[in-house]
Amino acid sequence: MSKTHHAQKATGKGDPQCFAGEAGPPKFKVGDQVRIKDLPDIFYTRCQVYTRGAVGEVAVVTHESPAPEDEAWDNVDRPEWFYIVRFKQSELWPDYPAVYANDTLQTEFSERWLELV
Amino acid sequence: MAKRDQGEHKAAPMVEEVSDFEILELAVRELAIEKGLFTADDHRHFTEFAHSIGPLPAARLVAKAWLDPQFKKLALEDGVAASKEVGIDWLNPTGFGTPSDYTDLRVLEDTPTVKHVVVCTLCSCYPRPILGHSPEWYRTPNYRRRIVRWPRQVLSEFGLQLPENVEIRVEDSNQKCRFMVMPMRPEGTEGWSEEELAAIVTRDCLIGVAVPHPERKQNAARPVHKAVHPVQHDH
Repeated sequence: MSKTHHAQKATGKGDPQCFAGEAGPPKFKVGDQVRIKDLPDIFYTRCQVYTRGAVGEVAVVTHESPAPEDEAWDNVDRPEWFYIVRFKQSELWPDYPAVYANDTLQTEFSERWLELV
Repeated sequence: MAKRDQGEHKAAPMVEEVSDFEILELAVRELAIEKGLFTADDHRHFTEFAHSIGPLPAARLVAKAWLDPQFKKLALEDGVAASKEVGIDWLNPTGFGTPSDYTDLRVLEDTPTVKHVVVCTLCSCYPRPILGHSPEWYRTPNYRRRIVRWPRQVLSEFGLQLPENVEIRVEDSNQKCRFMVMPMRPEGTEGWSEEELAAIVTRDCLIGVAVPHPERKQNAARPVHKAVHPVQHDH
């Protein structure tokens, strides 16, 4: 599929809306405890190193879209569900001050990066 | 003419540092122009447009939501639909056929116990159709690295210090969602109109590094400084 095709597909619908209905049912739901997998990312990824191995809670099931690791190479045939995951800051940074134990960070992952805890 | 030193002092050449990404952008742009996808004037026109848009529609969205609970519900459920009510169509944000961003806007609602702040650690994702260009600091590695790791320190550098019982929630905008913060309506704004409220929701409040204050307005009158040696216009 060419880039032009992708742009045409998104015209009038928007991106990621143009991929709606292509990923099947989402594997995770809001409230699920998930761990971020430490998958190899040889060429391109949008999964931050600071989240690898951390456990968080699914906060929002956002939309369907090809994963950036695929879309970067124009592979748009296998969209996935995306999830905003909420972490306790202390889960990400071991020396985060205990006095601010409530502080959190949210970021988004495609389904392939998550596993149920 | 006074005699000057010969050859002792030469002006250093002015060097513009061009990054690899700027070279890449130039190359792609020139290719697109050669292929006839757009003209150089189209590109200039778009750049001029992009620099002219600002955060006012987002400020209006927040002010409207403060006043209208139904609209607030819509804004929190569907940011793209709510944007339309303040004149921003994410599917056609420029009005001349140039999509400029992904089209999934999420509005993050601050509460007495949760304060949001937005960053993109991977690059500089920003809800441009409704907020305009991001400020320079938003794109710096300094902000992007440190706000996720030491949010309280960085917010403190912006002059925002929050008590321990407030959860600071950093939103790292790394995929196709775009985020703007809906701050809490400050005290001292009772009875204000939508226009008056929109004026205090500044760009930094919408990114989350500041909170609205009844006396800090966008487009506030510039302070006038009296000249130290004023010119006398009495002749």
